[in-house]
Amino acid sequence: MKRIVINAEKCDGCKNCTAACMQAHRNDEGTIYDLDLTDVTNESRNRILVDKDGTYKPIFCRHCQQPECVMSCMSGALQKDSVSGLVLYQEEKCGSCFMCVMNCPYGVLKPDTKTRSRVIKCDFCQDAGGEPSCVKACPKEAIYVEEVQG
Amino acid sequence: MKHVIIGVGAAGITAAKTIREIDPEAKIVMVSTDAWVHSRCMLHKYLNHERDEMGLSFIPEDFFDRYKIQWKKETKVTKIHAQVQKVRLEDGSSLSYDRLLIATGAASVIPPVGGLRTAKNVFGLRNLSDAQQIRSMAEKAQRILIIGSGLVGMEAAYAFLESGKEVTVAEMADRILPLQLDEKTGKAYQRLFEQAGCRFMLGKKATATVSDATGNISKVVLDDNSGIECDLVIVAAGVRPEISCVEKSAVRADRCIGVNENMQTSYPYVYAAGDVTGLSGIWPNAMKQGQVAAQNMCGVPTVYDDCYAMKNTMNFYGLLTLSLGRGVIEEGDEVLINEDCKNYRRAILRNGKLDSILLQGTIDYSGIYQYLIKNGIDLKEKKGEIFGLSFKDFYGIKENGEYQFQIAGMAV
Repeated sequence: MKRIVINAEKCDGCKNCTAACMQAHRNDEGTIYDLDLTDVTNESRNRILVDKDGTYKPIFCRHCQQPECVMSCMSGALQKDSVSGLVLYQEEKCGSCFMCVMNCPYGVLKPDTKTRSRVIKCDFCQDAGGEPSCVKACPKEAIYVEEVQG
Repeated sequence: MKHVIIGVGAAGITAAKTIREIDPEAKIVMVSTDAWVHSRCMLHKYLNHERDEMGLSFIPEDFFDRYKIQWKKETKVTKIHAQVQKVRLEDGSSLSYDRLLIATGAASVIPPVGGLRTAKNVFGLRNLSDAQQIRSMAEKAQRILIIGSGLVGMEAAYAFLESGKEVTVAEMADRILPLQLDEKTGKAYQRLFEQAGCRFMLGKKATATVSDATGNISKVVLDDNSGIECDLVIVAAGVRPEISCVEKSAVRADRCIGVNENMQTSYPYVYAAGDVTGLSGIWPNAMKQGQVAAQNMCGVPTVYDDCYAMKNTMNFYGLLTLSLGRGVIEEGDEVLINEDCKNYRRAILRNGKLDSILLQGTIDYSGIYQYLIKNGIDLKEKKGEIFGLSFKDFYGIKENGEYQFQIAGMAV
């Protein structure tokens, strides 16, 4: 399967990936230059965290081989696609219980801030051709798509 | 290899899918009393007409075709003849198996108080068939009494408040959701439910019932002699494992069906998973047990080791809570509390390890806490920042790009 591989040492915390994710998932039309960064409906699926030593730790959904989020989903909204290997989310099926948030060991997931009815989850930019916007926006090659096992 | 699975809940369905993924040739037969595959966690969404029967399904529409599974629905297994590897169905026919999985779940417990067990307007809320009966009777019922304020009781209360009913919740404990919440977080929900019109009778036990001429319960009497007039009663006072199919069989059961670490019962070729094992009563664990059982049934030795079961999330009126651990404070424990106008957070540390955590308000990115609790990670050094912990504090990446916890410089 394809995975967004992370080379954390190369990350310099510019957060272009975060802005690109917000842009890819905004509801209104527009370019990155008029993206409202304070609008909570434009939530990013990825985060760049700063460690105590000043290094950056990118937190991106791994679309795990054994996805704990899928193994907690009581509505069937989260499924691992057997062909692409992606862990995909069907919002209309979601029961908003957020056991997936509780079960992701890496703390990647969160409920949406505005309605608290859906989960904020990486979709590998399926609606934008399946090439992750975050990867395209990274100037450091700290994240890149690679074919991996599982 | 022929696999028979009894039950189409979280454990049974996960097992069937897992078997098919391992063995494309296996024959898989599922038997269920349920007429619909449905998520029990969403029955309240059926009660308030938010979803129909199909909307409660947690599998793709073509699941049984896609995975080549034969499903005998609305069929009860009356007996298991483990010595000859057969199950008897209620129509008198038999099914033979090479491997059998019992994933029959649990059944509501109706306490032997007054006419609760016999009256026609009293229901447990466990299966879609319960919800169907309740919803149809609720059309003519205005006053709903719910006995028990656990998650099932509160979800039912929520659904009926949404439908404009008069709802009373009676609870033995002095606060609601007593297993998951402390007083403070319970009160926050209680207020929201009261604002929606719910009435609570806390610290009170049902002791007697009064029936009308038709045999329906019209009033439930509590231990302080107060009475609650009602048209419909929902008993949400717990469940017991549904073990009736193994009665008088070679499969040992004592209130629940005991299993070993491979999810195998006392009898060869017979496995059990989900609530019927008595190991846990929550969805994620049932799924994992079903998966582990299926792997062993297919000859792939697998141990069920992710047993941590004291975990829950809830979401009422947009107020979210994550509750991990028993939440009981013991002598010597360190209790950390952090509050602001939108959040309440409480952590219980025992011997430098996280024992329980309660987050109400924001639960964003809180998944790491379950990992820290169930793996007994030492947090002495980090207790000052317990509510600010994230995966960055344990950051590790495997060769295939997946994450892995890094504790004190060691990959775990």
